[in-house]
Amino acid sequence: MAGGMDRAQLGVTEAMLAAYGEEVFRMSHNVQLREGDPVRRLDWAEIERQREGMGLSDAQIADRLGLTRKQVMFIRNSEESKRFRTGQQAYLLELGGSHRFRPERTVRLEARFRYSAAALELRAAFRFDPAQVKHFVGNGWWRDDTLTKWLARHEVTRPEAPALVHGATTVTWKLLAERVARFAEGLRRAGIARGEVVSLQLPNVPEFVIAYLAICRLGAVVSTVHMPYREAEIGTQVRHSRAVAAVCLAQAKNWSPAAAFLSCLKTVVALGPAVPGALSFAELEASPPLDRAVPAPVAADPFLLLYTSGTTAAPKAVPHNYHTMLSNARLSAPEHRLGPEDRILSAAPYAHLFGLYALHIALWTGAAQLLLAEFTPPDLAAAVAAGAPTALWTAPAHIAASRAMGFLDRNAWSSLRLAIMSGSACPPELVRDLAARLPACAVTQLWGMTETQAALYSRPGDAPEVAEQSAGRSSPGNEARVADLNDQIVPAGEEGELQIRGSALFPGFYDNAEATQAAFTADGWYRAGDLARMDAAGNVSITGRLKDAHPHDHQGTASRSVMI
Amino acid sequence: MAQANPSGIDPVAAKQAIVEYATKRGALALGVASLEACERIAPPGHRPTDLFPRVRSVIALGVGGQTRGAWQMPAKAMAYSGSTEVRAYKLAYGLAFFIEQRFGAPSIYVPPDLDPEGGPRVPLQSLKLHAELAGIGARSLAGDILLHPEFGFMYYASVFTELELPVDAPMQENPCPAPSCVNLYRSIGRTPCMKFCPAQCLNGEVDERGQQKVMRYDMATCAELTQEYEAVPKILAEAVRDEVRGVEDGGAARLLDADSKMLWYKVSAGSGAWFAQCFECMRVCPIATRAPLADPILRTEPLRAAKRKG
Repeated sequence: MAGGMDRAQLGVTEAMLAAYGEEVFRMSHNVQLREGDPVRRLDWAEIERQREGMGLSDAQIADRLGLTRKQVMFIRNSEESKRFRTGQQAYLLELGGSHRFRPERTVRLEARFRYSAAALELRAAFRFDPAQVKHFVGNGWWRDDTLTKWLARHEVTRPEAPALVHGATTVTWKLLAERVARFAEGLRRAGIARGEVVSLQLPNVPEFVIAYLAICRLGAVVSTVHMPYREAEIGTQVRHSRAVAAVCLAQAKNWSPAAAFLSCLKTVVALGPAVPGALSFAELEASPPLDRAVPAPVAADPFLLLYTSGTTAAPKAVPHNYHTMLSNARLSAPEHRLGPEDRILSAAPYAHLFGLYALHIALWTGAAQLLLAEFTPPDLAAAVAAGAPTALWTAPAHIAASRAMGFLDRNAWSSLRLAIMSGSACPPELVRDLAARLPACAVTQLWGMTETQAALYSRPGDAPEVAEQSAGRSSPGNEARVADLNDQIVPAGEEGELQIRGSALFPGFYDNAEATQAAFTADGWYRAGDLARMDAAGNVSITGRLKDAHPHDHQGTASRSVMI
Repeated sequence: MAQANPSGIDPVAAKQAIVEYATKRGALALGVASLEACERIAPPGHRPTDLFPRVRSVIALGVGGQTRGAWQMPAKAMAYSGSTEVRAYKLAYGLAFFIEQRFGAPSIYVPPDLDPEGGPRVPLQSLKLHAELAGIGARSLAGDILLHPEFGFMYYASVFTELELPVDAPMQENPCPAPSCVNLYRSIGRTPCMKFCPAQCLNGEVDERGQQKVMRYDMATCAELTQEYEAVPKILAEAVRDEVRGVEDGGAARLLDADSKMLWYKVSAGSGAWFAQCFECMRVCPIATRAPLADPILRTEPLRAAKRKG
């Protein structure tokens, strides 16, 4: 419109816009050229000569082009709207008092980073109840945690303290931060961007931690792949996760993980000997450090995509962001009485949540992480003897096997102050026996799932019967209840289904709405699928599993009560 | 010198009273532009007589620019401090009343607004032209922003009156470019304002005498980055876009096309919250910030010193 009239009233046609637009724009004041200083000098000849260069009014342009003034106004406004970019003040807002314009550092808005469709799809999977979010934030359970921040904190406060110990190799926090920065740059150059999923299949070696933290540093998402998985499982998981790259071993005992990933991915980073078509882990780590200006992730960013069943037609992928995942470790470390001087050994693989939980506790507290690449009773015993851990993450099967092979020597394990057992039903006798062998060590149990993380655990100092016969009570930020088939809480001591909710709970399965719907009660509790009893103090004993078709599972699949 | 007014008012004495009034209320500079020159240079529709047919004198005044602290602010905050010019408008508004009350001569405060029918960058009157012809500012290489050799960067406002007043001449010398700017130009081919413009909308040449030879100002580029008068419409547009996203039959595109631009402009015209200048060219300008009396703290030091002594 111009002068309150629309184009039909003004008689402006598309043809007129096309014909006169360029000239109207040129004659207007949009580009001004002045030679000398004619107005100040009142040099009338020059003022007249330069009049067009300084820009003409709409009336003057109208005279030149044989249009009406309102037609010129309409054409000029249309032309300016067509030419002008909007939102350009964003660049201005980025300037500070000491930040001067540098064209080489300016990236146009339209050229700036944009999440891929797959990344946006994953981000859309994070749906939380606003009331719960308010509750979690208000209680300080959700904060600004990211692994990048945690690592940076230790790099500054205890740079020379050991972060990773693997055999004879010790990686300090400072060195770890440097290796992470270099590998992150290597990954960035390989095309890994914020929000993208990267598969990670490595044993518990320093490179796992480096790759893990580097992927996180870029704001990308880690999808761990269990070490026994081969081509078929890898293919299924990669396709479902929309992974864009993988970090894996070049060569395992009798197969090549790198080759398996290369069959479904273009970007594969192989640790070990050169693999045709794959990038070398060592070469990526030789990159210069990542520029600190590369945006770091924030706590609400997706962070992990873990699979509880990767081999079916409808995989169950569990997404976590930093909020859900790291709040669990931060809040639980004091409960386990762990601090920066501890040395944590995980017999569980990092590809599983239980192993990651150990890693996260270490990354929060600044404790040293002792690495055991692969569990065998002699290797575990050797790692304990050499590393003198103060805390051990282990499964009942690990302890049972070690005991059976005579590796539970009291003296060799005397450094332990805490043992956390999880991963399967734990016989009370095993806890009792281990506690008797290690009187200075608190033997505790932990129950959790990939979906819930460490939801229940017993604490150091708990009465023996609690430690031996229960999986403990809720972790901070989480709640547990035992309910009947109608999701009504059963009286203390009665058996029912264990249900969990809280700040560490996943938001729902990624790309599997049916499974998500079946997994949650109407009021937002997660159905663990395990039978349990809860005593008056809140300690939960797992009594069995809902082995048959889950009564709430519309797919009729078997319940997963696999502990982390 | 102007003729005495019919009512017997002495033009010189009247001007002196006007200067005193304005100075007392914060004006740093005041001058009277040649009406004839204004009429001759301004395009039709934007001449003083188009707005005020019986105008006899064009008064231009300038108030101090930013505080010293303001120049230390981040660009974002600087941009929002642009309403400093309101001080000048307020003073001019009062001056129009003063002239009517003291001399009985009809006067108007010249609206500084843009022509709502003329688009986002067409003013009703050129305050810059009035000030330049009144001798209280000279065009700089920074997109013709006026500079004063003593007061640096000022905000200007105008009053039209039927009172006949003595006319001032434009400045004898143009303070732009400053010697240090000439040195930089001779070194890298750009003055500080050209070098540090976030939009790179400034270009020009300095001759061998160290004077302006060519000033080239890409106003469109400047405007879309730093004088985005459409800032408010853009906010509205974004809101509309969110509301009608996904609507069939054009949806947002139809509402936000070029034809509708004026609608959005009008919606925002009265908001008074336009995004103003970015000031980066002035921040690096040695005249704007470091002319002898440009700095408000330095400018008022004698007053404080006198107070301390007293």
